Amino acid sequence: MRRRKFLRVIANSALAVSAVPSLAFANHPTDKRHLQFVFAQLKYRGGDWNPHPLSVTPLMEELMARTSVEAATVRHEATLQDKDLFNYPFLYIAGKYEFEPFSQDEVEVLRRFVSYGGFLLADDALGQQGYGFDKSLRRELQRVLPGSEFKKLPVGHAAMRSYYLVPRVGGVRIVSPQLEGITLGTSTPVIYCHNDLSGAWERDQLGKWSNQCTPGGETQRRDAFHTGVNLILYAMTENYKEDLIHVPFIRKRMTR
Amino acid sequence: MQDLHLIGSLPGWMIAAAGLAALALLILQFVNLKRRLKLGQSIFLTLLRACVYSVLVFFLLGPALIDKRVTKLRRPLTVLIDSSQSMAFPATNKPGSDGKSGPSRFDLVRAKLTEGQDAAIQKLSRDYDLRLFRFGASLEPIAATGLAQLKAQDQGSRLLEILESVSKDAAAQTGIVLFTDGITNGERKSLEHSPALRVPVFAIGAGESESFADVRIAELRAPEFAFRGREFKLDVIVQASAFKGKTVPLNFYRGKNLITSKMVAVDADPFEQKVTLSFTPKELGTHSFSVEIPAQAGEQIAQNNQKEFKVDAQRDKIRVLTLSGSPAWNYRFLRMAIKQDPLIELVSFVFLRTPTDTVDVPEHRLSLIPFPIDDLFNEELKNFDVVVFDDFSHRSYFNPVYLDRVRDFVRDGGALAMFGGPRAFDAGGFAESSLREVLPVEIDGKGTFQNTATVRPALTPAGKAHPLTRLLPDPKSNEEAWSKLPALNGYNAVRAARGEVLLTTGSDGAGAPLLAVGRFGKGRTLALLSDDAWRWNFISVGNKETPQHHLKLIRQSVRWLAQEPSFEQVQLRAIPTVKPGEKTAIKLRVLKDDFLPTRQASVQLRVFGPEGEPTLLAATSEQEEGEYSADFTPTREGTHRVEAEASMGGKVLGKDKTSFGVAFAYGETDDGRPRPDLLKKIAEASKGEFIPLSQWNDKTLERIAAKLETIAPSEIVEQRQTKLWNNLWPFGIILGLLSVEWWMRRKWGLI
Repeated sequence: MRRRKFLRVIANSALAVSAVPSLAFANHPTDKRHLQFVFAQLKYRGGDWNPHPLSVTPLMEELMARTSVEAATVRHEATLQDKDLFNYPFLYIAGKYEFEPFSQDEVEVLRRFVSYGGFLLADDALGQQGYGFDKSLRRELQRVLPGSEFKKLPVGHAAMRSYYLVPRVGGVRIVSPQLEGITLGTSTPVIYCHNDLSGAWERDQLGKWSNQCTPGGETQRRDAFHTGVNLILYAMTENYKEDLIHVPFIRKRMTR
Repeated sequence: MQDLHLIGSLPGWMIAAAGLAALALLILQFVNLKRRLKLGQSIFLTLLRACVYSVLVFFLLGPALIDKRVTKLRRPLTVLIDSSQSMAFPATNKPGSDGKSGPSRFDLVRAKLTEGQDAAIQKLSRDYDLRLFRFGASLEPIAATGLAQLKAQDQGSRLLEILESVSKDAAAQTGIVLFTDGITNGERKSLEHSPALRVPVFAIGAGESESFADVRIAELRAPEFAFRGREFKLDVIVQASAFKGKTVPLNFYRGKNLITSKMVAVDADPFEQKVTLSFTPKELGTHSFSVEIPAQAGEQIAQNNQKEFKVDAQRDKIRVLTLSGSPAWNYRFLRMAIKQDPLIELVSFVFLRTPTDTVDVPEHRLSLIPFPIDDLFNEELKNFDVVVFDDFSHRSYFNPVYLDRVRDFVRDGGALAMFGGPRAFDAGGFAESSLREVLPVEIDGKGTFQNTATVRPALTPAGKAHPLTRLLPDPKSNEEAWSKLPALNGYNAVRAARGEVLLTTGSDGAGAPLLAVGRFGKGRTLALLSDDAWRWNFISVGNKETPQHHLKLIRQSVRWLAQEPSFEQVQLRAIPTVKPGEKTAIKLRVLKDDFLPTRQASVQLRVFGPEGEPTLLAATSEQEEGEYSADFTPTREGTHRVEAEASMGGKVLGKDKTSFGVAFAYGETDDGRPRPDLLKKIAEASKGEFIPLSQWNDKTLERIAAKLETIAPSEIVEQRQTKLWNNLWPFGIILGLLSVEWWMRRKWGLI
């Protein structure tokens, strides 16, 4: 009963974190940033591991502008043979085409990575299910986590509410309105998007968007950024938003 | 004195036939003589012959003189008097002359035996070889003169066992007279499966069972342990007799504080009702409770109106509150460690957004919840065991006055952990806050967060012994495990450590503090001066090592902070229940601040009796390092509380408390209702008799004597026979008579 009351008090409180006066933040250390987050992108053999080379910086800028995360604006390129791979618990894999199978050692490394706290975000830049990148990714993830399979994430999944209450998944094109994921226990360490998220994040050297988002245009692009931010925060806080203390508040907002 | 007895062995009819034959011969002789002699002479001779025949017939009857000698015996008689506590209860529910309760069962027994001119005990002593015993839990011979001093104070009555033991020697006694109320609380409660009683038992029942007036707590069903913050229930069985129509209060106490009171309406006779009570313990440890019904007017026994019990309040879960300055891998892996431990409950607030961050959507499109400052720090803080500031600074979010609450929380027994990062310690502005005095490191506002250094954790001597940093049981393996943990990329430099430093940033403990622990008030504190500890987990995974060391460190930290008993420096051992007068050893283990056992500590023990009376004991060091003990002999029944405090060099190492019960195994005063039914069964089984004490009088004594007489007479009769036909006298008489007859016949010319 006390806890319910406590939750009710929280829900009714007018004081939000975002409403705290900014004056008090003057002492926040911004001169010397301590990087909490580095966006690591996986390089693999064959296919095209780097369909949108300029996509990460806009997302990182967005992440830092909207959230308290201090991030490196430049991505880290990594392979599954890298000795320092586990310095980067967030790993992004994207592509358009089929790629070569991972070696057995690489499979083992990726298995340990996702099984012990790492997070893998897969992004299909081609958007053709059963072909190209999609075909190779599914094949390799079957080797990494045999017996597990991608399943569509429910709308209420913690990844869809880790920061924004994301109503739909953005991207360059809407192949699927839902994310897919492989869930181990209570966590989903592998999430897969078919909509070419990084295509929507990418700007060219002149600062213009590299790709048009269709059919939703800029709203769809914004959704892509929101999805990206949410997935990074989900990787760093796991299912924190499913804790009892958050549930009634989020439920209330989602029913507005 | 000699008596003549006819002890002939011939059948009566044969003697009668001989008599008739003799008579026929006499008639025939008389007729013959009358023809030859005068009538007088005929009668004379016939009488002579009749005498001869009479003597012969008389001797056929076996005349003998018997000499009887009677010897009086003093037979053995055993008298057992119940002197257990229940005999001190009033015999009836009628008040005495002074308006108070009437005489006790024991007083009445004593009066029946000792009062009057020719007291029963004197009669018995005179008529019997009296063996007088008092019994309760044991049997003890007493003198008849000692009855006046005897008191009913035995802690139990092993009635059936004692009867069985006494009646074994059947040859040595004629009977047992048993004065008791019939309450038995030894191992044997009924006659079933008991050996047969070979001696008649005259059971004299003390106390009236029909009018027995009592309200009692017959049974208490309470859990031995409960969880802090969770309600536990207990069932109380209330029984009453002769109280129909009355209402009695049932009071529930914690220590001496009344928790609640329930009214119990007694609507039947006999009456029994289950009453359920509940309590929610707020504090950890062993709590003493009692339930009590105040003594009622007219109630014969008040001792059974109260029952005490103990409940050990344990944590169901350790409640941890984390405040994280931003989403970070340290939080991710901290959460993973805590969530894997089912005994830890985590409530986290991660500040996803700073006041300078802007969003491109309306507030309702964000999942952020308001930070409930007032509720959290003013109301809910006490419900947590551990608060973690994880790279968190209050400066952007709330007034430092709320940190005073955290300080008070720790001082009152809570725990604070601060994890490093650019928002922690000096970098977080805590040098100007009330937490400055709480943290186990000294911060002066000049410390900085260093994120360029490569930091390798090194165990200090204290860290090698402390259970918090014990990742593996074997010390060498533990050191090796720490040396293999990956380096960290940043740490918070502080001025110095105030508490115990367990890890440093340099080898051999020479570097800056990396992990320090301390105390503040009743609480514990921890400082992990880095936000990079997650690397001990995930980089280890990448190195094909186990991530368990990091997970274990986090979980052990939480448990140590929450003062889990296994991490206490002073640990009292459990003390079993003992009897009053029985010596018991109070043992404890003492560890120094570095968690090494020590013989150098000064250990004081305080034992508090049931009424709170303290006894101060000094514990002495045992042979084994760190082990101490002190002997204590309780004198009273009830719950005893033990508090231990160990100090070394003027510094308190720790405290612990426990409690133990002191009680006899008997429930003598639980149910004081007399048990005439059992006494009747005993009497019936032994061929004795049940007699209510109220019916005891001289006639009863005579009845018992008569019954005993049939079993074993009190006189021995010796007889000596002198057989009259067994000598010459009968033949002399017959010969004389026949000679007179022969001479007279000759004289009168018949021969």
